[in-house]
Amino acid sequence: MDETQNDVRMNVYEIGYLIASSVPEEKVASEAEAIKSIITKAGASVIAEEMPHSERLAYTMRKKTVSGSYEKYDSAYFGWIKFEVGSHVIESIKKSVEVYPAVLRMLMISALRENTYLGKRASAIAAEFSSNVGRKSFAEKAPFTLTSRVAETSKDAAPAAPATVEEMDKSIDAMVKEA
Amino acid sequence: MKKQCYFSQHNINQIDYKDTEVLKKFINPHGRMISRKRTGISAKYQRQLATAVKRARFLGLLPYVAR
Repeated sequence: MDETQNDVRMNVYEIGYLIASSVPEEKVASEAEAIKSIITKAGASVIAEEMPHSERLAYTMRKKTVSGSYEKYDSAYFGWIKFEVGSHVIESIKKSVEVYPAVLRMLMISALRENTYLGKRASAIAAEFSSNVGRKSFAEKAPFTLTSRVAETSKDAAPAAPATVEEMDKSIDAMVKEA
Repeated sequence: MKKQCYFSQHNINQIDYKDTEVLKKFINPHGRMISRKRTGISAKYQRQLATAVKRARFLGLLPYVAR
C-alpha cells in the first residue's frame, strides 16, 4: 500500500435533489444556497451546479411530516450540484442533505469531472434520432404489443394459479407426495 | 442494414440521468426500457442507459409505470 494515513482520496460526486413544492418560489434559491453551504462547509469544492427549477413529477411522491402524516407532491423544484470532496466526509454530507427539511428526495452518485449533461443539446439530438430512424420515437409509437402479451399469459396462467393460501398448501402437498 | 449505436454516433461517452429528452427515446409508452435488439445500442451503453433511467425514475423525472 502506497497510501499513507494522511492521504485523502478526492472523488467527484453529484447530488440531485428535489425541493418540495410547498416551499414558496422566492425562497427556493435560498434553500438551494443552504444545501450548497452544507456541501461546501464539509470542505468540498463545487465543480458545476444548476439552480432548482420547477418540474412536474412523473408520479406522485409523498413525504412524512413532523406530525406523522404524509404530504403528497405532484411537482417539485429539481436542482443538482457536482463537487469534489474527500471520500471520508461524503457519508455525512449525504445524511445532512437527506434530512434537510425542504428536501423532498435526493440522489447522490459518484460522477465524472467532465460535463456529461447535454442540457439543451439533448432535445436537438433527440429530434435527430427520430428523423434518423425514419419513424416516430418509441414513446410516440402505437401501443406496444406488451399488453396483449400480458393478457395472453395471464389468461393461460389464471386457471392453474391457486387462489387461496389453503389451495396453495394443498398443491404443494400434492407435489411433495408425487416426488 | 446494421444499426449504429446512437450514443457512439453522437459522441456521448457517459449517459446522464438528467437528459430525460434522450432517455425518453428508449422507453416505451408503458415506461419500460426498450431492448437493445430493437434500438441497436451497444451493450456498454445499454448498461449505462439502464442505470440512468433508474436514477431518473427515482427522482421523478421519468415514470416507473405509465398508462
